[in-house]
Formats: sequence, C-alpha cells, structure tokens
Amino acid sequence: MADEALYEFLHSELVGYVTEKSAKENKKDDLSALEYMGFSSGYRIIERLTKERPRFNDELDTVKFICTDLWSTIYKKQIDNLRTNHQGVYVLHDCAFRFLSKLSSGRQYLESAPKYVAFTCGLIRGALANLGIKCLVTAEVQNMPGCKFHIQVQRS
Amino acid sequence: MTVHNFYMFDRYGQLLFYAEWNRLRQSGITREEEAKLMYGMLFSIKSFVSRISPLDNTSGSREGFHCYRTSKYALHYMETPTGLKLVLNTDNVAVNVHELLKQIYSQVYVEYVVKNPLCNLSEPIKSDLFEAQLDAVVKQSHVFTSKPT
Amino acid sequence: MSRQGARLDAKKVNSELFTLTYGTLVSQLLKDYENVDEVNKQLERMGYNIGIRLIEDFLARTGSGRCYDFKDTAEKIQAGFRIFLGVSPTISNWGPGGDEFSLIFESNPLTEFVELPDHCLNLKYCNILAGVLRGACEMVQMEVTSWFVQDQLKGDNVTELRVKFIKRLEDAIPAGED
Repeated sequence: MADEALYEFLHSELVGYVTEKSAKENKKDDLSALEYMGFSSGYRIIERLTKERPRFNDELDTVKFICTDLWSTIYKKQIDNLRTNHQGVYVLHDCAFRFLSKLSSGRQYLESAPKYVAFTCGLIRGALANLGIKCLVTAEVQNMPGCKFHIQVQRS
Repeated sequence: MTVHNFYMFDRYGQLLFYAEWNRLRQSGITREEEAKLMYGMLFSIKSFVSRISPLDNTSGSREGFHCYRTSKYALHYMETPTGLKLVLNTDNVAVNVHELLKQIYSQVYVEYVVKNPLCNLSEPIKSDLFEAQLDAVVKQSHVFTSKPT
Repeated sequence: MSRQGARLDAKKVNSELFTLTYGTLVSQLLKDYENVDEVNKQLERMGYNIGIRLIEDFLARTGSGRCYDFKDTAEKIQAGFRIFLGVSPTISNWGPGGDEFSLIFESNPLTEFVELPDHCLNLKYCNILAGVLRGACEMVQMEVTSWFVQDQLKGDNVTELRVKFIKRLEDAIPAGED
C-alpha cells in the first residue's frame, strides 16, 4: 500500500522534530512529546478499531487484541510473542518492528532506536487507556529490527 | 555471466557508494580519483551523446546513454530523474542488466536509504543493511551466476 | 460485523491514523510555538523533508521519467496525490504563461476531523503539502512555490492549492569541465 511510505515519513518527521527541539533546549533526548503524540493517536484510533466488536472479557483479552488486530492493521504483522506474569505485566515481542526494519539488522544505529519506538509506546498506552486500562509502556531494543514492549498495568 | 563492481553517485557527482564482487584488477589510483574519473566520463559521454544525436532530442539526453561495451566487459548506466547515477560493470555477455539496476534503485536504495531516516541523502551511504541488501540482490540476480572463467 | 470484516477495513483505519497523527503533530506545534506563522513555517519545512524522500518512492513506484513540461509536472503531482493520499485533485486555472496552475480538492484527508479554533485563523493547517511539493520538485531540478488560495477549513467550498514554477535548477558540472 502506497500510503504506508507516507506514514513512515511522517513518523520520521515527528521523531526529527522532537529530538531537534530537545537538543535545542539542552534536554538530552527528551522523548516525552513523542510519547504524548503517540498517546493521543492511539487513544483515538482504538475507537475506530473496536467500534464494531463486542466488549473484551478481561485485561488479557484486551492486550491480545492489541497484539493481533491493532498490530496487524498498523504495523503490518502480528506481535510474534506475548508473555505475561498474570499480575499486570505483559511483554510484547515484535521480531521485525516496522519503524526499525529499514534502519538496521543488528546493532548499527542501536543508539537511535529509542527515538523510533517512543511514539509506539505512547500509542499502546493511549489505546489501552481508552479501553480502561491504565499502564506504563516502555520498550527494549537489543538487536534491530526486533523490539520488546513492556506493559505494566497500574492498578489502584 | 558475472558482475564486477558498482558505483552510485548523487546529482552533484559525489560517490555515495561503491561495491565490488569479481573485480580482478584495480585501477591503481585511489577510489576517490577513480570515482572522479568515472563521473567525469559519464558527464562527457552524456553531453556528447546528446550533442551528436542525429534525431530530434526533445525527450532530453538523460535517458540517452545506457551502456558501453569492450571486448571484455560492459558498463551499464542508469540515471533517475532525481539525478542519481547507478553504474554496474559486468562481463559483456550479461543481459537485462538494466532491470537489475532498476531493482537496485527501487528495492534497495529507496527501501533502505530513502526510508531510513538515519541516512542523510546527501552523504555517502554508511548503512550496513543497505550494503547487505545490495549484495543479496546482486547475488540473486541472473546476471551474477558464476565467477569469470 | 464480524472481526474479519473489521480487519478488511485496514486501509481506512490507516488513513485515519495518518490524519489523527498529523492532527496531534499540528496541536503539538501550536503548543510549542506561540506564533502561528512559526507553525506554518515548521509544517512547510517538515513537508520539504518528506518531499525530498517521497519523490524517490514515487519514481521507483511509477517508473516515470523526467517531466517534458509543466503540464506534465502538474499531472504527475496529481498522480502523486492519488498514490499517497488517495485523492484526485482537479488541475485547473492555468496562468496565461503556463507556469502556474491550481489543484482543487473537493475533499482533503488531512482535515477530515478538524475544526480550526478561533485563535488559529491564520494557521495553514495543510501547509505540509506546500513543503512536500517544494521538496519533491527540487529533487527533479525544478524550483516551485505553492500556497493556499482557498481552504475548506476557513469556510471555502473547496481547498485550492496554487502551484507556480520559478525556475529550472541546473545539474552540477564536474570540476574541469565546461
């Protein structure tokens, strides 16, 4: 699909803008604005994805939806592996994450990887927030283009 | 059939990338000088081709030059409308090399340089992934089937 | 609707995601800059960065050669909108010198869910498009400039982007040649 390329370019501009700005303000790699833009996009897009389907049974069911339907729609493949400790921690492993797959296959440019996963951390957090799950999302990249997203549900 | 080496220049004549496979002889000058000679030759041959053309040349001279052939090897050339120049030296029995050049442009350069925000388009290409993909595409090509005999 | 049905809608969802993400970018910029003109400039600059890369994807995809004339350019720009944004603007209002035309958009995917707040009336919400055109054309040795003449977000019936040819940029000549 042609518009995929356009979305990747737009995403790169978001990353470029936020990192340039944080460099200018001498805040080293402050990616919070990127995470926030991901959050708003995720919060809103999940409505479009879920409007036709029945309510989720539980938290795991919801996270599974993120791994399958949301991921294959937005990231063009499903999450390869989902692990959970059944106490609110979920690890989503994507072996070939879309925003890293053109960058490197290995450790070259590894230092730049956090910039290209921050938006998506926000997107996951936003999507789950709209489905009633409050959480923290971080990402871990050891070997590109693979990425592990850690979701930690916050229970009050 | 075989592929010897590959050069890629930007529209300002800067060498963006060089790779070689079965290159049996070096030119004896630095890569930098060699690239300068190559670019100068391409530039001259293009303007010659266009000036000497006996036909109405409204479609421009840029697509005019495709290859030259010696008794031992052939140089294949492709230029995109953005002024990117791709050069592939092969033995002189290789066919459809232009298809391979197009494939390198659209499946390797566009995918792994243009779509890699960490690659600055006006600097020589440093991406390992680009290099690996280029190598794979060339080696999978029918043009690259055996070592020269 | 079945889950299968929801999946088939991927194209629409992605186009909406693009629109939403662009929207969050614009609001981020409005937060970061007090001055709307600065936001317009920033959007144009981002568009330029996208344009210089997008043109290569366009060329690889379509296999197009160089433009014969500015009419040809206009048609290729129109094709680009079709490929990347799924809209077909109409080409019209050619200037007498043939160096200026308008792209008329009946609908614009960038603005699908947008309403401009009153304090942003000078915001050129879609200014990124002007930058994309400048960047893409520059890469094929053409300097163009473009600006919005009408904007649906400001109550006009259509959105009109005016594109003007400035000059052809020449190839670099290698040292020692003339």
